Amino acid sequence: MKNYDVIVIGAGNAGLSSAATLALEGKKVCVFEKHNIPGGCGTSFRRGRFEFEVALHQLSSMGTEEKPGPLRKLFKEYGILDQIEWIEIDSLYKVNLPGGLGVALPTTRKGAEETLIKQFPEEKASILAYFDTVYKFCGEMDDFAAASANSTGGEPSNIKKLLTQALFAKKYPYLAKYALKTTDEVLEDFFKSKELQLCLSAYWCFMGMPPERFPFYILAKCTNIYIEDKPFYLRGGSQVISQALTEAIKKAGGDVKFSCGVKKIVVENGEAVGVIDANGQEYRCKKIISNISPIHTYANLVDRELIPREAREYLSGYTVGISALTCFIGLDCPPETIGFTDSFNLIYDDLDANETFKDAYTLFPDKDPIIATCYTVDDPKVSPEGTSIITAGTLKYGTPWEELNPDEYYETKYKAANIIIDRLEKRFPGIRSHIEEIEVATPLTHMRYLNHPGGAIYGYEQDVKSSFVFFPREVFIKNLTFAGGWVNVCGFGPNYMFGNQVAKQVSKEVK
Amino acid sequence: MKSMKDIIIGQMEKGPEIMNEGAVAKKIGKDIITEKNKTDRIVRSIHTESLNLIVSEIHQVTSDAKAIRFVSADGYLPVFEAGQYVNIFTEINGVRTSRPYSISSSPKQRGYYEICVARIPTGFVSDFFLDKVKVGDKFEANGPQGVFRFNPVFHYKKSVFLAGGSGITPFMSMTREILESGADREIYLIFGARKAELAIFHKELSAMAELHPNFHYHLVLSESDSECNFRKGFIDAKCIKDIVGEIEGSTFYMCGPPVMTDFCAKALEELNIRPKDIRREMFGARQDIQNEPGWPSNLTGDEVFKLKIGDKVIDAKSSESLLISLERAGVRVNVCCRSGECSLCRVKLVSGNVFLARGVWARHADEKFGYIHSCKAYPSSDVEIEF
Repeated sequence: MKNYDVIVIGAGNAGLSSAATLALEGKKVCVFEKHNIPGGCGTSFRRGRFEFEVALHQLSSMGTEEKPGPLRKLFKEYGILDQIEWIEIDSLYKVNLPGGLGVALPTTRKGAEETLIKQFPEEKASILAYFDTVYKFCGEMDDFAAASANSTGGEPSNIKKLLTQALFAKKYPYLAKYALKTTDEVLEDFFKSKELQLCLSAYWCFMGMPPERFPFYILAKCTNIYIEDKPFYLRGGSQVISQALTEAIKKAGGDVKFSCGVKKIVVENGEAVGVIDANGQEYRCKKIISNISPIHTYANLVDRELIPREAREYLSGYTVGISALTCFIGLDCPPETIGFTDSFNLIYDDLDANETFKDAYTLFPDKDPIIATCYTVDDPKVSPEGTSIITAGTLKYGTPWEELNPDEYYETKYKAANIIIDRLEKRFPGIRSHIEEIEVATPLTHMRYLNHPGGAIYGYEQDVKSSFVFFPREVFIKNLTFAGGWVNVCGFGPNYMFGNQVAKQVSKEVK
Repeated sequence: MKSMKDIIIGQMEKGPEIMNEGAVAKKIGKDIITEKNKTDRIVRSIHTESLNLIVSEIHQVTSDAKAIRFVSADGYLPVFEAGQYVNIFTEINGVRTSRPYSISSSPKQRGYYEICVARIPTGFVSDFFLDKVKVGDKFEANGPQGVFRFNPVFHYKKSVFLAGGSGITPFMSMTREILESGADREIYLIFGARKAELAIFHKELSAMAELHPNFHYHLVLSESDSECNFRKGFIDAKCIKDIVGEIEGSTFYMCGPPVMTDFCAKALEELNIRPKDIRREMFGARQDIQNEPGWPSNLTGDEVFKLKIGDKVIDAKSSESLLISLERAGVRVNVCCRSGECSLCRVKLVSGNVFLARGVWARHADEKFGYIHSCKAYPSSDVEIEF
């Protein structure tokens, strides 16, 4: 029986980064991946002349060469930084409001403030105060994280607890005030204009929670890091990072097994001791990092009688999150032909984002906000000359799709795509007549490729009660831990870095 | 004393409220046990990874071709889109291989899937299906796959099908679906064959054309004698124009041997059809790979190179894809389309050179890190690969 220090289940972003960290630290690591290629969400597929990015819109935390962010530093450690052609994106996003007004925010704080002030001059003071609050809040978050990291671990003494009780709100006033607020609670406090609020809340779509439920701390953090570290894309898309990480793992002596999922986690005396792969081969290890959903990890890979009751109780407090309905579109014209000018777009046909978001629980995207990215704006070479690539879609829960009769599936899928194209046609006249390829991914497509319950693309619902200090990270079977979007703020940057963080901890534990 | 986490949250605005929400959620939430095997069950009803098929009927459709119908050993055949294929695994003389076959039956009925196998000179799998397979035989297959299909989002309602030889099969499925469901579509099927008696489904298609005014069927024969009343020659621009009339506002679909689809592609170019209005079915390894554009001129096709994978070293003929050589040597390779599109048989080229046939849908990352699709890669030196 083959032995490893650590076995990683799933070659998703955090699975790959954790394995890379472990391999570079000299640990014997093996990644099991049921698909034939690495990446999970971080992948691409081909149709005709086009290669479509599946999930990455803008990579966070990269920073520039002069002022590197934490992700750039991590990729450098992995030795993959220079293998990749990074592309800095020149706007944060463009919010397209009902009635046709579009507001594109530049990637500097000053630029963003000025753009908004120009558009909403009567709220100038509030705009400046808001950015000030976002920055101060994020500063406190960093300080608090640094202080927590320095603590020795385990429950602190009662004296320390009493001190914290007395001083926390004084030491971290912005954290105390805002950390548990929703986006709407904060934005409504600052601003009168609904349009302006929508211009600032755009990142809600990165987590799939409407503004009335989207944690303000994630919004603040996104705003802050995308401005400070700039949004990035890369030539060839996220599949290139996934492949580069795979090569880095192998180069450092790690194993990556493709087309070979894990069928079972072997638990002995309440401890995870190994896995059995899809071919029935058994492997032993000291630690397991699961990069798949905790739900599948327990429910499908552990014998029912061995699933700790506490794990079941604990996880029942979390709700499976949202999926998506996405059109991957290859056009036989450049983006400007149909008036597409910005990389990342949020399109509202109604000012009440919370109300239209309710469509996420239905099959058809009649009103829901549309998220549209034109990769050609970032990288004109992403497809052959004279063509362009746009992905456009809406966030959708899996349930109505799960309930469909299979015989209705394809018809429903095309009907849904048609609605999205009709809505885009109003903003970008001519788009339909230039479609050369279109592939439609539904929540069931995401379920098929990610094997996530509900086809969830961001893991659990990330509302206030399920995020921040509440992530489902607790360990119930000894030596089985998790890395990935199900147990962390979901996103490419956060997952790579969280995988690294988990691996560092695991590495300490396997001597 | 409370935990540190509770103390900190207690100091935040809305802290107690959120803690309470969390506690309530835990009480009313769903037990993860209820999710056991659920995604598998749902996904399988649409995208079944592997099928267990049993031959239920075999019909001789021409002297050289048979329609073979399969039912499911486990009672369920998944939905598919007309034009899709199933990749069927066989074991012939101890060699496990597979071939993708377009489904010719209508997706509107799923009691059986029908495929059609035509004899190919030196085709050892087609010989097997035509000469050996009988009712009751069992096969494994990949669930229906493929993107050669009608896409209502941007395809026109007027379809022009250009078929050659056994390339008729996906069109049979499409035509049956459209006509049986009474869809608001118009079809021009131009079918190129050597002789009328070799045209698969010719009788059935003629009968359908008689019955349905929205279905126009034209046989074009390359070897006809002067008596017959079919069109003669090849499917060129003039032929297409004559038959279809108004070509504006049509989507063109091509399926057949590469020589035929190359020829038709040129015709469509002459007619100024935009790439977006042309759909071309992929094609597997051609028998005469030496005639493929770009084939290394110093190779005859008879060279035998060494192919290293892991600890194994096997023989690899220059005119056979790496995939075939691997299968001959009994190496299990994940595979589906065998035509360069699906990427399941992708391997890393560690050393050596290969000739890559046309039609490979490689990703940018594949090219960057040296991955190739083994079904369309032919060795031109000794080669080492890894999975």
